[in-house]
Amino acid sequence: MASADKTINTDVPEKDVFAIHFLQSLSNLRIQNLFNSPDTTNYRVRKIKKAAYVSMARAAGGTSRLWSRALLRRAAKGNNKIVRFPRRKRKVTWKISSKRRRSDQRAPVVEDAAERLRNLVPGGGGMETSKLMEETAHYIKCLSMQVKVMQCLVDGLSPK
Amino acid sequence: MENELFMNTEFPPPSEFEPPSSSSAMMLNWALMDPNPQQDSSFLWEKSTDQQQQQSIFDSALSSLVSSPTPTNSNFSGGCGGGGGDGFIIRELIGKLGNIGNHNSSREIYGGTTPMSRSALCYATPMSSPPPPSNSNSHIMMNRTTPLTEFSADPGFAERAARFSCFGSRSFNGRTNSNLPVNNNNVVNNSGKLTRVSSTPALKALVSPEVAPMIPGGEFSRKRKALPKGKSKENPISTASPSPSFSKTAEKKEDWSGKGSKSSDEKGGKRRREDEDDDVEEEEGEGNKSNNTKPPEPPKDYIHVRARRGQATDSHSLAERVRREKIGERMKLLQDLVPGCNKVTGKALMLDEIINYVQSLQRQVEFLSMKLSSVNDTRLEFNVDALVSKDVMIPSSNNRLHEEGLQSKSSSHHHQQLNIYNNNNNSQLHPNNMMLQSPMNSLETSSLARSFTHLPTLTQFTDSISQYQMFSEEDLQSIVGMGVAQNPNHESQHMKLEL
Repeated sequence: MASADKTINTDVPEKDVFAIHFLQSLSNLRIQNLFNSPDTTNYRVRKIKKAAYVSMARAAGGTSRLWSRALLRRAAKGNNKIVRFPRRKRKVTWKISSKRRRSDQRAPVVEDAAERLRNLVPGGGGMETSKLMEETAHYIKCLSMQVKVMQCLVDGLSPK
Repeated sequence: MENELFMNTEFPPPSEFEPPSSSSAMMLNWALMDPNPQQDSSFLWEKSTDQQQQQSIFDSALSSLVSSPTPTNSNFSGGCGGGGGDGFIIRELIGKLGNIGNHNSSREIYGGTTPMSRSALCYATPMSSPPPPSNSNSHIMMNRTTPLTEFSADPGFAERAARFSCFGSRSFNGRTNSNLPVNNNNVVNNSGKLTRVSSTPALKALVSPEVAPMIPGGEFSRKRKALPKGKSKENPISTASPSPSFSKTAEKKEDWSGKGSKSSDEKGGKRRREDEDDDVEEEEGEGNKSNNTKPPEPPKDYIHVRARRGQATDSHSLAERVRREKIGERMKLLQDLVPGCNKVTGKALMLDEIINYVQSLQRQVEFLSMKLSSVNDTRLEFNVDALVSKDVMIPSSNNRLHEEGLQSKSSSHHHQQLNIYNNNNNSQLHPNNMMLQSPMNSLETSSLARSFTHLPTLTQFTDSISQYQMFSEEDLQSIVGMGVAQNPNHESQHMKLEL
């Protein structure tokens, strides 16, 4: 196969990184005094969930990953201050339409699944299938890490 | 072969020929040597030459040999009609003429035939490779052939001979049109055309051993040269295919490429992936290669792909294969991540598994966030008491997280890790709860107080973070240090921005 191919890097930071970020976001939630008068549980839940995702995106490397970048961008829509995106050194090539058209002809089985995956993974719409796979791998790792952190928190905070 | 020789005399256009006033020597020559009744055409062929020049030279040569006075038409025609008596003399002449033919000087006779017609070239081509004249048996043959050898001795002549060869297959012409080096062409095609019996195999036999070492150079050099730079091996194919007359050569090339690809397959597909624009390059490469006859100028970074034996060398299919391999590689990566994917075989099922796993993880996050929100409500009563114990517990909590980090490093079984951690958690419930609650409590007291306790809470949190910093690992230190290094005010604003 590709002998000189670069190895795909899907390293994620350790759990404590995720924990720190998540706790920070939670404390931020506290600051906003949301839980004083909860109108709906749903609202609070959504807030926490959003905080979880954002913190995960930050912990996973901020804007260096496509999915995290898309996540942060999505989250920043509602805010006044936009999340700062560092200037990218490399030029991003947007070849969505051409790639998608071409890739539709390839292995339609794979492409159907890739389409579903694109709906799941944030920012997947602009990715080609192979890139999508990479992002999915990293995303899965980060998600599982975040789940672990939250589980620990819940376990720690839940009544005995 | 002889028949071929003289068969081809019919080809030359008769328009160029005129009955000569002289050049009788030549006429004699051919008249004597030609067993073929089609002598007229041969004569005509002779006449088309540069008559004056030839005649003078030939006459002088003859005169040096022949005792008789300078030959004239009448003499020689008489000689032709002389029959047996004169035949002996004539045969002698022929022999001597043959000898003359071998001399360098007499080459000029034939060497100056730049305006030689196409017909002459017919003779030149087969004559390029005949053996050097031997004496006895092939005397006549030699005589017959030697003048033509002289013709072909002129390299430019041979070149033109090849070009306008009446053997001329279309492939030949086609090849010359493609501006390949002519000498190789001549060699190959002459030899190929000579042995008309064995066309393709001989050609292949000739070409493949020739070409294979000739890969860096030679007639395929132009096309092959694009290979290291360009994308694939289909350049020779694509350049060959547009000319439909390339039937023989195309198939020959394909065979060659088949062999070549087999050898290269052993080396392994040489591929060099570029940073991010590989898709772009592939796109361009595909577009270029599909229609051009000339090899496209490859961009800087390129994916180098070798066509494997028995596989299509189409540009699209090659790119397809590259992409599929990439995807397959990533799927293997994902397979390791997703638990329970080892049993599943096949891309479709595996992808379904992966999608299910991602969905389950996302659902888990949502569920846990729901739980957290509910937990936060119940935890509101916790107070500063917990905060006191915080300082004691933080290092242990830090260590706990660190242990978890180590575990995550060691294995890739996430569920197992989760279980382990839960076990740890459950085994040391009380201190765990205390320890985990402490930062949470510090956060929650603010909401409890419903006052402006957020600042102290923040400070407490930053204290806890600094505590972390003291006992933490390097990453934690770096990450936390970044947060702590900032002004607390700035940090609060920053934290506001986070959400």
